[in-house]
Amino acid sequence: MEEEKRKNRTELPKILVFACRWCGGIGAGRAGWKRLEIPASFRIIPVECAALVEPDAVFRALSSGMDGVAVLGCHVGGCRYNEANHAALKRLDLVKVLLDTTGIGGERLLLAFGTAHEDHQFAGIIRRFTDFLGKQPPLEPWTGFAKNADLRSEG
Amino acid sequence: MAVLVVGGGVAGILAALDLARAGQPVTLAERFQHLGGQVARLDKIYPTDHCAFCPLWTDIRNCLDHPRITVLSSATIREMKKEGDRWAVRILREPPVIEERLCIFCGRCEKACGEGAVHPLLDQAYAPVYCIDAEKCTRCGRCEPLCPTKAIDLNRKTVEDRVVVREVLWATGFENGDLKPLPEFGYGTHPDILTALEFEEWTAESGANRGRIVRRSDFRVPSRIAFIQCAGARDSRMYPYCSSVCCMHALKQAEWVKRRIPDIDCTIFYTDLRAVGRDYFKYSMKDVPGDPIRLVRGRPGLVFALPGGGIAVKYEDTFKQERRIERFDLVILNGNLKPAPAPETGMGPSLLDGEGFVDTAVGFGCGFAVEPGDIMDAAVQAASASMRMIGRDKN
Amino acid sequence: MAKTVVLLCRCFGELDGIIALDGIADRLRAEREDTSVYLLNSLCMEEDAHRIGALLKQEGARAVCAGLCAAGSKREALWESLRNAGIERSGLFTADLREGCAWIHQGNPPGATEKAKDLLFMALAALDEKKASADVSADVHPECLVLGAGPAGLAAAVSLAGQGIPVHLVERAAQPGGMLNLISRTYPGDDHAKTRIEPLLREVETNNMIAFYPRSKVVSVRGFAGDFKIGIQGPDGTLRLRAGAVIIATGAGVLLPRGLYRYGELKQVITQMELERQWIRGVPDDKRFAFIQCAGARSPERAYCSTICCPSSLKNAMRVMEEIPGGEATIFHRDIMTPGNLLEAYYRKSMEKGVRFIRFHEEDPPEILGGDRVEAIRVRDAARGKEQVLALEKVVLSTPLVPNMDNRSLRELFQLELDSHGFFSETYPLHPLETRVDGIFIAGSARWPVSSDKAMEQGEGAAMKALGMLKRDRVSALSLSRTPGEKPGHGTVEERTCTGCGNCVSVCPFLACSLQERDGRFVSRVNKMRCKACGSCVSVCPNGTMQIPEHNYRMVGAMIRRAFP
Repeated sequence: MEEEKRKNRTELPKILVFACRWCGGIGAGRAGWKRLEIPASFRIIPVECAALVEPDAVFRALSSGMDGVAVLGCHVGGCRYNEANHAALKRLDLVKVLLDTTGIGGERLLLAFGTAHEDHQFAGIIRRFTDFLGKQPPLEPWTGFAKNADLRSEG
Repeated sequence: MAVLVVGGGVAGILAALDLARAGQPVTLAERFQHLGGQVARLDKIYPTDHCAFCPLWTDIRNCLDHPRITVLSSATIREMKKEGDRWAVRILREPPVIEERLCIFCGRCEKACGEGAVHPLLDQAYAPVYCIDAEKCTRCGRCEPLCPTKAIDLNRKTVEDRVVVREVLWATGFENGDLKPLPEFGYGTHPDILTALEFEEWTAESGANRGRIVRRSDFRVPSRIAFIQCAGARDSRMYPYCSSVCCMHALKQAEWVKRRIPDIDCTIFYTDLRAVGRDYFKYSMKDVPGDPIRLVRGRPGLVFALPGGGIAVKYEDTFKQERRIERFDLVILNGNLKPAPAPETGMGPSLLDGEGFVDTAVGFGCGFAVEPGDIMDAAVQAASASMRMIGRDKN
Repeated sequence: MAKTVVLLCRCFGELDGIIALDGIADRLRAEREDTSVYLLNSLCMEEDAHRIGALLKQEGARAVCAGLCAAGSKREALWESLRNAGIERSGLFTADLREGCAWIHQGNPPGATEKAKDLLFMALAALDEKKASADVSADVHPECLVLGAGPAGLAAAVSLAGQGIPVHLVERAAQPGGMLNLISRTYPGDDHAKTRIEPLLREVETNNMIAFYPRSKVVSVRGFAGDFKIGIQGPDGTLRLRAGAVIIATGAGVLLPRGLYRYGELKQVITQMELERQWIRGVPDDKRFAFIQCAGARSPERAYCSTICCPSSLKNAMRVMEEIPGGEATIFHRDIMTPGNLLEAYYRKSMEKGVRFIRFHEEDPPEILGGDRVEAIRVRDAARGKEQVLALEKVVLSTPLVPNMDNRSLRELFQLELDSHGFFSETYPLHPLETRVDGIFIAGSARWPVSSDKAMEQGEGAAMKALGMLKRDRVSALSLSRTPGEKPGHGTVEERTCTGCGNCVSVCPFLACSLQERDGRFVSRVNKMRCKACGSCVSVCPNGTMQIPEHNYRMVGAMIRRAFP
């Protein structure tokens, strides 16, 4: 049944990317300047800092039909908000554990903290993540965690 | 009345911002097309081990946006004349063929150029614009009509600006000196003997090799790299002073080599390991992946290419009192930094001392132009020189 | 719903053939009633920006969604048009259709078009939920508090007074001068210690702009950049001072090398400071001196180089050679730290004067020989590999500067950061005199060991930074940005739902959150002046109480829902 589902995937897996305004976002922008070809099945939500990515947002994304979530921030030691990204990294690592425990799979959350120069790295990350998620069975849409339950009723 | 800051590197930018925020109008003249100077070209900076891009770009943008700062890029100082208590300065600007304000970075010019003369200004610079390399350009004119915003004008004329300023602040920074007077380092005899700044560019993440460590001769991964300190520094033949930044710079480069490829052996040949600033000593003691960075106290006496390949370094390990010759795949020379020329046009009695540094008894200056130092030193000096400058005139 | 205008940039045809903009525009118009969609050749060129301004006014637009490029440097004209048309920042959302879509999906026009459409719908959905942070502002109190009247503090105070800024100069000791009161000469000019600060001391005495408070210390701090309220306790009681900026220049202490090199056991083993005291009294009697560097520094317990010890030894060694007939000086070191031009020249000068240098390894330090007085020093010369014994009379230990004992309490009072050794930390190498709190600056050895001339330089520099703050009439929270332009907002608490858990208080890198009592319970309060909108607090809030209005959870939820149809 799982195998069938996997084989029946025709679409590319859907990825939601949170990119910080600095290294994450600028790295992504550079990929554009270099015209690197990347699969088109990801969407970026820009955030000021990776610290702004709530664990809740990750759960909501995964329960809304996304196959994976990527969080791009600055190198550990390079965050301009006094290492706010350190705490973010730890927090999101815990989210991975939760995802593992609930059977969703921690590998569906990708954390990449790099530098603003890394255009090829950005392209590589998206390509590899797309590849990897394509080999996983699709997530059943489920009404799991939602910190703000009223959103569920809004569809 | 405005003051003139000469040099748009870290020192000049920070000084301009300090002055402007205190109410002093500033004209900032930079000889290249982009702001940021040497630091903008670095792949990583110590001690953060991060790129300098984000914070530097923030201050560059603050400079460009500030209502009291006028930035003149591609500008050189031609003449300075003292008129009473102010300076009349003639500045020559060579506006780039591709006008920055109009370039939307579409790249149609690059595609059309058959000589490869069109390229992005600087990988590390943020405002992405294209520029034309005058040496490669044949002025065929193919690019001009293709530009959608008409940003290209092959017949761009130089512009002369005359400004009258209260004071001048020199922040002209540093550049590599010529290593030919020191033939023992073999610079220029083999592609795998390079200066530290060349190595930085060669291995930059956003550079041609995308962060890979390879030899320049055959693009193979080196197994042994030698970093030679004080090559063209603390040397009575050339530059007797210490360039201040090289020890930390070598440690940073060696650390990044090990981070990327732990198997590469890195050896630093030093005289005094000057890791003096905040947490620099800790930085020098940091654990790296793979074998630790080998520190050898001794200044190599001879560096030469081996016929079968590789570079030989002949040195004395002063701690073991042993003379040895070792083979390396890459040799990085650290040192030979000298203050970039600050035009002495009319500032006399000589603005510069014997080594080419700005004499602060004669004029205002900050950064490497005054005294070898790193980003933090330049930032402190920028602030203090600005204060002294506005303190002088009690208007 | 407010009238929304969508501006789509064709980017001079860059999107043609990849993103079918016209089709997307039709979709947008069809799905959203109150939305007008405009396709323009560009959004960055001046003529286009003017046109935009006109049509926004014509439409009565309250919100703008722009599909454009990632090159932020080209947006000045556009932002101005928006401002002129009365569009607030909370009424704007942008989607990157060029670098973020067209240029990375050139080989996949259907995918790129689908994505562009989704990005725009995401942006519109976000715009519907985007709110504005409330700003606060205050008058800037144009006075400065300088803590510490050593060389750094004196330089800062005099510089500011010279600019017409009243300065409150607070000093723990009875008189100004700091460590220069204890030193005979300074390097590299070999001036008498007080020479450099004499004009500054005179200024402090005579200039009405400088109020000097000796034997005083800080006991309370409230307020924020532009308006700090500081409580000072002095010999006559407590005073309340108000200042727009604070410069911390409280200096450092010196390590006493107890247990090192028989210090305390033999009277002839002394510290550099003790040697300075001897020079002040007169020329010492002894002839043969040994200076031992890194005594208690660059070691596991104190893993830092104290910067000033090598030049200090050079200074005193040269004095021995010059002023003591038959004087001999040998410096035992692990590296000679004289970076730069001036100091390296100083080093060369000392060699010309006949000072001797012997290098030793950290693991094999010199040994002091002698029964009840110093007689000789035994060392394994690292460069010669041989053991040497030198007869001498005096051993001078170069010990590091250590953080002031006050640093901890000052850190608490001002909510600053100390580095791993206990010195005050700066925010970033490009801003070495600024702390994580706007309006508070650091200079001199309180920040990191420096010589007195560099300390004065830092004092002037900190004064310049302070001036930038003090020259403002008013300071607003949104203007205290770490990034170009305004802050993207700040953390905002919904007090009804706050449980007072304190997560935000502990996670905030800028210590901007605190718990306040309200009707018998605790709720979080954000100090908007300190908040930098990083969002750490938002992520750790258990029930969504803490939000940044410009990026609130409804926006994120809306964007997630519209990311893929």
